[in-house]
Amino acid sequence: MEQAKQTPLYDKHTVSGARMVDFAGWRMPIQYPDGIVAEHLATRKHAGLFDVSHMGRFQISGSGAVAFLQRTLTNDCAKLAVGQAQYTILANETGGAVDDAFLYCPEAGSFLLVVNASNKEKDWQHLQRHLADFTEVRMADVSDEMVMMALQGPESESILQSLVTGGTLPESKRNAVASVTLAGVEVLAARTGYTGEPVCFELFIPAQSAGTVWDKLLAAGAKPVGLGARDTLRLEAGLPLYGHELGTAPDGSEMPVFTIPLAAFAVSFEDASRKFIGRDALEQQAAARQRYKNGDFSDTAALPKVVRQFKLSDRGIARDGSAVYYEGQPIGWVSSGTMVPYWTAQDNVLTDEHSQRAIGLCVVAPHVAAGSEIEIEVRGRKLKAKVVPRNLENRKVKVTYAL
Amino acid sequence: MLVDADAHYLKSHEWVKQDGNICSVGLSAYALEQLGDIVYIELPEVGTEFKKEDIFGVIESVKSASDMYMPISGKVVEVNTEIPDNPDRLSKDAYGAGWLLRIEAADPDPAELDTLMDATAYQQFLETEG
Repeated sequence: MEQAKQTPLYDKHTVSGARMVDFAGWRMPIQYPDGIVAEHLATRKHAGLFDVSHMGRFQISGSGAVAFLQRTLTNDCAKLAVGQAQYTILANETGGAVDDAFLYCPEAGSFLLVVNASNKEKDWQHLQRHLADFTEVRMADVSDEMVMMALQGPESESILQSLVTGGTLPESKRNAVASVTLAGVEVLAARTGYTGEPVCFELFIPAQSAGTVWDKLLAAGAKPVGLGARDTLRLEAGLPLYGHELGTAPDGSEMPVFTIPLAAFAVSFEDASRKFIGRDALEQQAAARQRYKNGDFSDTAALPKVVRQFKLSDRGIARDGSAVYYEGQPIGWVSSGTMVPYWTAQDNVLTDEHSQRAIGLCVVAPHVAAGSEIEIEVRGRKLKAKVVPRNLENRKVKVTYAL
Repeated sequence: MLVDADAHYLKSHEWVKQDGNICSVGLSAYALEQLGDIVYIELPEVGTEFKKEDIFGVIESVKSASDMYMPISGKVVEVNTEIPDNPDRLSKDAYGAGWLLRIEAADPDPAELDTLMDATAYQQFLETEG
């Protein structure tokens, strides 16, 4: 097997005492000495700093770039103004996901597509195949030129602000993108993230200056967070992970893109002239979702299952692969699940007390709606659980807390 | 202390310490360090009988669930009920307050202990395994 790659921040992680693991061909920190629980909690109350340089970054530019992206991505990049980003999906012809991705537009005619580390090669090949149908498009793998960091949590804005030496942070709006100088280093900053935190940033930093920025962010109060807590944070926020809620089901079948609720934000049918890959199949899935919303479950062929959030009522932990039952019938499986810590909240303010709860995401028949009592089989026992609309609340205040 | 000199060990990192015909059973500090934050633990009821290497419970970190194996045959006479509600206490004193079960050994002079690794052998095992 090929030796795992190291991000430019590798030495920073080992000096911090991180436990390193192989993930998608990269040697990455799974956790730092304080552990996953402490890192999760620090992100929710203060600010967590993540090295996410393992993710793939493709730069797409040229006068044909928009036409190319309109064909290969499900979201409408014509609606993406300069200084914005959008969630999007690389769909295949049958309406499955090659990958999910974020598309950033830092300047006119130039796009940055961020894809999952585990899918980077596959995405590149997929995009290259379709690139042949277009002219005037340049696509470059810029992953090694820049480091990608995420700074997430309520204190991340003040921490970042304390480092600004030129320009301004992106406006306080989800998915805003701007160039800003941090401690003398010009970086691209976006208000995006994978934690469910309303105050969140992802930073694209020239590789040679990344160590300086990392150190200064830690000195300003951010806590380093590994892949372990990155997963519990996204799970608590109900965000999909390719290979779990997207891609291939445990039985090897392809999961329709609209299995995830977020597909509604990642797939745009508004422009009827856009012939993006998979459009016909995705329209059928979207129509099925609409029928489910109206309580009509008579035809589930296009979208047999949907992702729901659950919380366990019995003691235990339901992990991915566990069978889910509703009214005694097997109706799906757990796609992601573990025990996550949370700060208890009082009057929308986090206290100093924390606890833990077993939550997860499941892929189940569409009639199993929020409020349904389900059972999940764990080591031969059926544990009681409840489908919930969401496990986190962050609407009322700028602090995210557990429901 | 990663290894307790007075304990005997299974390769799956459970330890047992003998005091008369009662044996204490727990999980080694090394195993707990490897697991990271413990978030859930399931232990058997008093009175349950096990044979050596039977699964007696499960221990779960955020990332994984692991079965725990009985290092010695016998009947559970006491369960450390503090642990399931406070699993983080386990790693603080793995060989003391972090005991999980007290077992009445099936054999009053448990020859089974001799089939386990002693502290020196376990230490060597950790070095070669790691």
